[in-house]
Amino acid sequence: MSENSRVGEVIEASTTEFVAQCYELYQSPPLGSLVKTIPTPSGPVELYGIVYQVTTTGLDPGRRPIARGKDEIDEEAIYQASPQLEKLLRTEFGALVVGHKRFNSTSSASAETSQHEQENKLFYYLPPKPTRIHSFVYQCSSDEIREFGQSFDFLSMLLSTHLPILAEELTAASLRQMSSVHPDPHTYLVAAGKELAILLASDYNRLKAILGRIRE
Amino acid sequence: MALDLTKVATQVGGILPRLKTRREKHKERLQSALDFLRNSTEDFARLKAKINASKTTWPVAGLFEGLEQSHPALPLPTEFTIIASDGSQIDVDRHQSFQCYLINIGSVALHYGPHPNAVLESRPRLYAEDKDLMITAPGRNTQEEPIKGALLDIKRSVEECHRLVELAEELPPGSSILALLDGSLTLWGLTAYPNFVADILLRKGLLTYLDQLRELNKDRQLALASHISLPGSKDVVNAVRVAVCPDEPVNCACCSSLPEQACDIVTGLLDRDLFANLLAPGERSELFFSQSKVVKEHYGEHPIYFFYLRLNDEIARVELPRWVAQDDGLLNLTHTLILNQCNRGHGYPVALSEAHEQAVVTAKDRGNFWQHIESLLVNEHLPTVNSSKSFSKRTRWI
Repeated sequence: MSENSRVGEVIEASTTEFVAQCYELYQSPPLGSLVKTIPTPSGPVELYGIVYQVTTTGLDPGRRPIARGKDEIDEEAIYQASPQLEKLLRTEFGALVVGHKRFNSTSSASAETSQHEQENKLFYYLPPKPTRIHSFVYQCSSDEIREFGQSFDFLSMLLSTHLPILAEELTAASLRQMSSVHPDPHTYLVAAGKELAILLASDYNRLKAILGRIRE
Repeated sequence: MALDLTKVATQVGGILPRLKTRREKHKERLQSALDFLRNSTEDFARLKAKINASKTTWPVAGLFEGLEQSHPALPLPTEFTIIASDGSQIDVDRHQSFQCYLINIGSVALHYGPHPNAVLESRPRLYAEDKDLMITAPGRNTQEEPIKGALLDIKRSVEECHRLVELAEELPPGSSILALLDGSLTLWGLTAYPNFVADILLRKGLLTYLDQLRELNKDRQLALASHISLPGSKDVVNAVRVAVCPDEPVNCACCSSLPEQACDIVTGLLDRDLFANLLAPGERSELFFSQSKVVKEHYGEHPIYFFYLRLNDEIARVELPRWVAQDDGLLNLTHTLILNQCNRGHGYPVALSEAHEQAVVTAKDRGNFWQHIESLLVNEHLPTVNSSKSFSKRTRWI
């Protein structure tokens, strides 16, 4: 997947999470990966989310997919024989909002030139407003992942969520994703483990569950 | 108040014994008809002449080569495209303040082969101008027919065919294409209207689209057919009815008052009953042509032909214009591709099924549609006068 590639569009949004529909069937970002929505003139905030759930279902909730492959040699043959399937199924992913970057636009002295200087700063807490429906969702580049992963402040948000997926599972998946773009993944994971040990000082079982999932 | 099913249940129970008796009689008649077809020594040319000379009160299938022959499907081409359209509508509601109707045409283009692809689409169109709401006789403004009910059904059928033309034109030259419609190619309802209605909807509508589809065959192989699931037609049974009639020429008026008639041996049978016994799965029947009044009088260069197709669980009727029926390549393509579509779609062409899904307008959609119109009128401070009946139905009180 190319860097900073657009992977979908927001179809449900709340303060704490958003759901995006993928443009291509099954082409969702992986579990635990970092995605973002980009700022627009009406919403100068870049939201960061961690993918916690990927689902593929029928486009129409009233129509359930049926088994088709009894006489086909492989799965690919089913899609070849029923080209409409690609248009009747959709892949969606849910992302937990874990931070945002504000773009503070300040006009220069000359209004005529309309030049803007942009400052940006990363915050590891919820934005004042949720993203908008139809916002484009991009997979973050390696640089952006490294920048976001410099601080482990997002871990406390991951650990305290109530999602259809275990918080330990999601935390471990996101750390695996972030360490993969780090120059020294092992060092990164050790640092993350130390942070988790502080956050989960009173819950050894949870800590053990996560460490067991990020061990190389 | 909901329907009181307990009261209905006793009535349904009362008709069951009659259904059982009728079923026995039906089996006997079917056997007689099949025996006749298999053992008849009557000269086929003579039967054709007898049918042509007959004066019956029911439509009789026109024959070409026989009644009971069957034809297997040819192998599937390696690459082909199925285009299909289907429509639904929101009818004019005289209880609403805004007179309009909506036709939603759903269409699909399914491409099979090394590079499979699918395009699914729906195109809703609102009709609210005076010229949309009435069909007016040319030069005679006093003669007009409102487009609603059965006439709107006919207009929708014409629009479905129009959409097929657009889809077919978009496909590259050299393609092998089957264009599919649901239901009959014969616009039966037209007989209930004055001739100028048929002139506008058929001669300037459906038939021009059939012309255009035929023209597209210059640089591509394009067949058009309509598919009728579980057909209730009796054209071929009626041909048997003529064959067993002892009178010559056959004239129903002569013996309609008699208590028993020779042709009673096929009463109650449908064409699909015959072909369920004459065809093996995948086979098609012989070709027949429609001798219905509306086709004879109005269809000009596009008389309607048909054959029956045996699927795994039912007999389907496939109707096609003459230019498809008389071209062996197009006829075989139609047979093979409809059969393949039905096999992919559990007995019903998958392209028609998906076109229907694109077109369907639910009761909720209808409610939303009228509500949206009403709110727009209110926003513009336009009067929204609904009938008291409509108000009464929406606000139910005790």
